Amino acid sequence: MAETSLEARRLTKTFGTRTAVDGVTFTAEPREIVGLLGPNGAGKTTTIRLLTTVLTPTSGEFSVAGVPSSRPNEIRRRVGVLPESAGYPAHQTGREHLTYFARLFGMSRSESSRVATRLLEQMGLQDRASSPLSTYSRGMRQRLGIARAMVNDPDVVFLDEPTLGLDPAGQRQVLRNVRDIAADRGATVILSTHTLTEVEEVCNRVLILGEGRVLVSGTVAEITSAVAAPRFATLRVPGSEVGAARQVLAGLQGLTIAASGERPDVLRISRSGRDGMNPVLRALLAADVTVLSFEVEGTRLHDAYLALTGDATVEEPSE
Amino acid sequence: MTTLVNGEIDKTATGRPQSRGQGDWAAVAGQESRDLWLSGRGPLLLFAFSVLLSVFTYLAATNRAINFLEQREAVDQTLQIAVAVGVLVTLLVSADAISGERERGTLEGLLLTPVSRRAIVLGKLIAALTLWFATFVVSIPYIWVLGRGVSIVRSALLLGLGVGTLLAVGLAALGLLISALSGSNKVSLAISFFLLLAVFAPSQLPGGLPKGWFGDVLGKINPVGSGLHYSTAVLVNGHGWTRDLEYLISPLVLAVLAGGGLLILSERIVRLNPGGER
Repeated sequence: MAETSLEARRLTKTFGTRTAVDGVTFTAEPREIVGLLGPNGAGKTTTIRLLTTVLTPTSGEFSVAGVPSSRPNEIRRRVGVLPESAGYPAHQTGREHLTYFARLFGMSRSESSRVATRLLEQMGLQDRASSPLSTYSRGMRQRLGIARAMVNDPDVVFLDEPTLGLDPAGQRQVLRNVRDIAADRGATVILSTHTLTEVEEVCNRVLILGEGRVLVSGTVAEITSAVAAPRFATLRVPGSEVGAARQVLAGLQGLTIAASGERPDVLRISRSGRDGMNPVLRALLAADVTVLSFEVEGTRLHDAYLALTGDATVEEPSE
Repeated sequence: MTTLVNGEIDKTATGRPQSRGQGDWAAVAGQESRDLWLSGRGPLLLFAFSVLLSVFTYLAATNRAINFLEQREAVDQTLQIAVAVGVLVTLLVSADAISGERERGTLEGLLLTPVSRRAIVLGKLIAALTLWFATFVVSIPYIWVLGRGVSIVRSALLLGLGVGTLLAVGLAALGLLISALSGSNKVSLAISFFLLLAVFAPSQLPGGLPKGWFGDVLGKINPVGSGLHYSTAVLVNGHGWTRDLEYLISPLVLAVLAGGGLLILSERIVRLNPGGER
């Protein structure tokens, strides 16, 4: 396996006058799970379709496991894909479906059947292997789609919204499968999703796209420390010290204070700029104000994502 | 071809099982045919076809006088219906083959495999043609019943198979081209249906086509009308098989142009977005 399993250089795709992907450049290593984030229309699906040769780039180039984009057939042998809106023939059984796709990747009948059996077992679908796909739940179809993406033992696996519409148990199982693909098979996984908790949970690296461009890339920690800034805090002080606390806070620049609901002892603080909340806490302690609690918000991937994209459609992280 | 070494796939230098090349279209054709026949679409169309042919054969058998020439005409009329309706359903199935898969979300999975677009359309073309061959097989007993005693059953079946297959190949390929280029499945089916009406209707006009050179040219450039005219000339008028061969030119040209065009253009037109990348 090549050192870099996926490399995209200034990848651009235009549809008429609209630029869907604009100079996307990144690399990914084997065993890495790379989260692809961005608002709707940011270019995530188009990027995946370019890298899987379903669409042809307007400019730029890429390679998969060292195979250049000029050899799309060879690239298709090395990638596995769960498309965003994958359809499944209703009357086919799970086993037939996987066997057919294995055949399309050049395997013999017996080998295709063996691969289908193995993948059905790995995805926990062996009991429903002979059932028509019309009887599969959404979660089962997603797992079958992941199995289909694995029939050719790919170097890079692209999963476009694999947990969309799944219940928590289904999401957990799919994420377990994603981890296994990277850890056990040594494949690179490109995971496109709107669920940021998933990214924080499984991804080694994150790429945030906006209007077709890479806004930021790095590990979750790198992105949150570079982009997210603690801009909100909830302060609780004894009722007798609320006035003193307000006086201290009023002396700090760029600070806005609001009482939290019906509790006058709880103050919600927002701060503009990138100074963070440390100076606030320092000032309170220096003034001998008793701080009962001081909860800082704005240090998670969710906050970094919002700061970069302003997109409010992402799933709120669950505490 | 993939071989097994010590029970494992013998991978090539690329580390992947290689495509079987010509075998790819066979895998696509096999699965597409299973999809057509096991999903119930094929059997339903075949049932509708046999009901239609039964009604027509009954009318032809009960209305004809017992004389030699009219029995030949009855066979010819039944054959014409069998061929026309057979190629109609073949055209409609092929018109759904790409645009329908696009709408059902199954095309992207197929495009993500290393199978060439050419192999995909060839497989789909062959699968659509299984419907034509099935309708032809269903029509055999009808032709046999109507043609007993006038020694034209064999000729009628050969003509039906030859002319019908030529038309089915041409129209199925045309249906696939339309399907690949259409913005939606409804549009593809509507265009294909009206196309077939346009080529089939003139031959059914009262009094037939206009007489004279214009009518002659019109008759010869219409592949369906021209092919059916050829079978009538042989079966009813008693012409030799080689006498009216010029009437087979347009069905042949259609099959070559549509089939060839489909195979040549397939890499460019079989796309996730209809009609190319926009």
